[in-house]
Amino acid sequence: MPVAGRKQAPTAIEKETATVTSTLSGREWQLPGMWNRMFEPRVLSTYTATGFAALAALPGGESLEYCYGCGKCVPVCPVDVVGEYGPRKLHRKVQTGVDLFSADDLWLCTTCANCLRVCPKQVNLVEVMPAAREVAVGAGHVPRELQDVFEKSFRYGNALGENPRRRHAWTRGAGVPVRVLPNDPSPVDVLFYVEDYWSFHPRGQEAAQAFVRLLTLAGVDFAILGPEEKTLGDSQRLAGERGLFEVLMEDVVATLAKYDFARIVTPDPHGLNALRKEYPKRGHTYETLHYTQLLAPLVDRLPLTVPLDAKVTFHDPCYLGRHNGEYEAPRTLLRAIPGLELVEMGRCRENGYCCGGGGGGMWLDSFTGNHTSERLSERRVREAAATGADILAVCCPYEVSRFSDAAKSTGNEHLQVLDIAELLDRATGGATGTSEQPSRAAGGGAAGSPGPASSIERANEDGA
Amino acid sequence: MANQRVVVIGGGPAGLRAATTVAELGRPVVLVEQRGFLGGTPIAERYASMTPYLEDPEAALGAMASHLASLPDVEILLSSEVRSCSGDAPAFSLEVEVAGQSRSVEAGAIVLATGFQHFDPGRETQMYGYYEYPDVVALQDLESMLKDGNVVRPSNGEPPGRICFIQCVGSRDRQIGNEYCSKVCCGVASKEAIEVRQALPDSEVFIFYIDMRMYGYWESQIYWPAQEKHHVQYVKGIVSEVLPRDGRLLVRGEDTTMGRPMEIPMDLVVLSVGMEPSPGTRAMAKLLGVAQNKYGFVEAARPPLDTVGTNRPGIFAAGAALGPADLEDCASTGGLAGARAVASLATAAVTSG
Repeated sequence: MPVAGRKQAPTAIEKETATVTSTLSGREWQLPGMWNRMFEPRVLSTYTATGFAALAALPGGESLEYCYGCGKCVPVCPVDVVGEYGPRKLHRKVQTGVDLFSADDLWLCTTCANCLRVCPKQVNLVEVMPAAREVAVGAGHVPRELQDVFEKSFRYGNALGENPRRRHAWTRGAGVPVRVLPNDPSPVDVLFYVEDYWSFHPRGQEAAQAFVRLLTLAGVDFAILGPEEKTLGDSQRLAGERGLFEVLMEDVVATLAKYDFARIVTPDPHGLNALRKEYPKRGHTYETLHYTQLLAPLVDRLPLTVPLDAKVTFHDPCYLGRHNGEYEAPRTLLRAIPGLELVEMGRCRENGYCCGGGGGGMWLDSFTGNHTSERLSERRVREAAATGADILAVCCPYEVSRFSDAAKSTGNEHLQVLDIAELLDRATGGATGTSEQPSRAAGGGAAGSPGPASSIERANEDGA
Repeated sequence: MANQRVVVIGGGPAGLRAATTVAELGRPVVLVEQRGFLGGTPIAERYASMTPYLEDPEAALGAMASHLASLPDVEILLSSEVRSCSGDAPAFSLEVEVAGQSRSVEAGAIVLATGFQHFDPGRETQMYGYYEYPDVVALQDLESMLKDGNVVRPSNGEPPGRICFIQCVGSRDRQIGNEYCSKVCCGVASKEAIEVRQALPDSEVFIFYIDMRMYGYWESQIYWPAQEKHHVQYVKGIVSEVLPRDGRLLVRGEDTTMGRPMEIPMDLVVLSVGMEPSPGTRAMAKLLGVAQNKYGFVEAARPPLDTVGTNRPGIFAAGAALGPADLEDCASTGGLAGARAVASLATAAVTSG
């Protein structure tokens, strides 16, 4: 039962004894309190909207008050579908005096921007949420699991708390040489900004390996920052740690200033978002592409000869699609794969359903789980499975792990979750195994024929 | 030969616009006004400002009246009422009582601009207690307070800390018999809410509504600024009960977003009363024999492309006599009715000559 906008168990009010008159005998009975249990009235009786003024004092926080209650956000909010949270309800709760800065609702928004897309009043939760969360972070009201990630990001420069020196360990299984700029700082065309999940997560590493094989096949001159790379921290910013984001930005800008590169390519739409929208606000402008945007115009250079006879559906990442307007590049790449049949989910492109990972959601799995009937990723995987697809293709590093877990938990193990880079790699006859497995020949790439892992390691070190 | 004179009944915004149009087209006009002054309800009910542009009604309508009086062949009869009407277009013969004296006026065409009255909240089926509680007032009562620059709780003369408007009082209600939307109350309530927030910056202002009906530009002229700049709190879900509690008023309704009852205290409750035909509109329509709809408003005979013609040739209606209307509607139909009246005389002159 919601009280003052929050779901709370009813509080019992018990009297010690009660007198009840029998309707049969007319006799009076003294009963213990359990027989006259009452509940708090469910009537809303407090009512003050001062929360809006507190929000309006924050940069970007003023627009929540603009809501006129049309409810267009309700069906498109991914969280509203599985829980009590929704932008319209949030407006109403603040109107009825709920303190957003200490409310659990503060952490449920994934900043996926689907509400903003449909909002006639341009209530912008992508700005409201980070602003309000920053206040909560300052006051120390942060879910523990998220605080851990903030601390790891600050200490290690990555959200996973991994050893930064092992950031390019994945290159060993790549099967092609990968130039690491600190070892070889000569000018390069493409700076491949690997970001955290392709650097450290086992399934991300496989995608990173596939991607560098594709770059090699396409004859792209590329290099990575290796141990000098730090996360761009956009999701940490959206989760309320602007201070951390600013510190990371200073470090990243200083690192980037050391090297001569033409453009940055990243697999992480969140990193892309930071470089395209946040860095320029501080005067740091780089030509930045998502990896699908780099590969799509080069797709003819890839020898896509191995048919992939499978039905594939594609999940649009919120921060690539709605936030940065790219819907075609991933589809261009998928359509280029022989034998692949692309089937779209009902919610796709502009109306893509969020995987739940954005805006800090990646690191609030337990917290969010307590407020929702199922994970957003589970909901999405069921939509993907309903298309009859064999493979759910993704191009955001958060998603492979999220959706793989969700496929298992929803009984859709038959649905394989693969990054587009991995699918392209398969179609070129490239390696498809894990990082432990030495890569097979990646075709006649410009960088020369790759050999066994050990020699590749040497090749990568030779680049120093 | 048709009489070239036009009689305009009613000296509010619509009647003034109609008479001015006739005079500017060079025809003689007689304006018959029941009250002792021109300007109609905005003056009689002491509106603080006109929606949505916030002009002072006395200045704006006063200027209109002086302009009319300055035109040739204009006769303005105050404290006057039409007692009878005989004949047909283009030769009407009216008997007008002017300050107790009967006088006959010949006219070729008539414009009926007798306006509306505010719904009497005592007739409301909901328990709003307009006549029981001094701190329950209606839109026009608050207009008057705003005009005096003295927004207070009538019960104790103190400035109210929490004020709410309850929309659709006397409108959109089959039981009351007014099934129509009164069209202006959403805008007027929002305009007053802005003025209250400006007069009492520490006050909290709420508007409880069924749905906000902000026609055309009123959306961005009134509604959005009220919400975004003046922080008026709009709450979907109407209040259906007002109860006294601890010297304040407890308004009770539904929190529709959360689906639960709601009861919150207020210092001042403003009922957004709708529009009904004025007694003058009912009486004149009957006297002139023009058709009225089931609500008592004059029925436009050939809508939608003829908004002012009645079932009687040579008799036109304008303003809120035709149904709920804002000031812009009144000026539009007033001007049109005046022009149509003159045009009907010209046509009559051609056919009879």
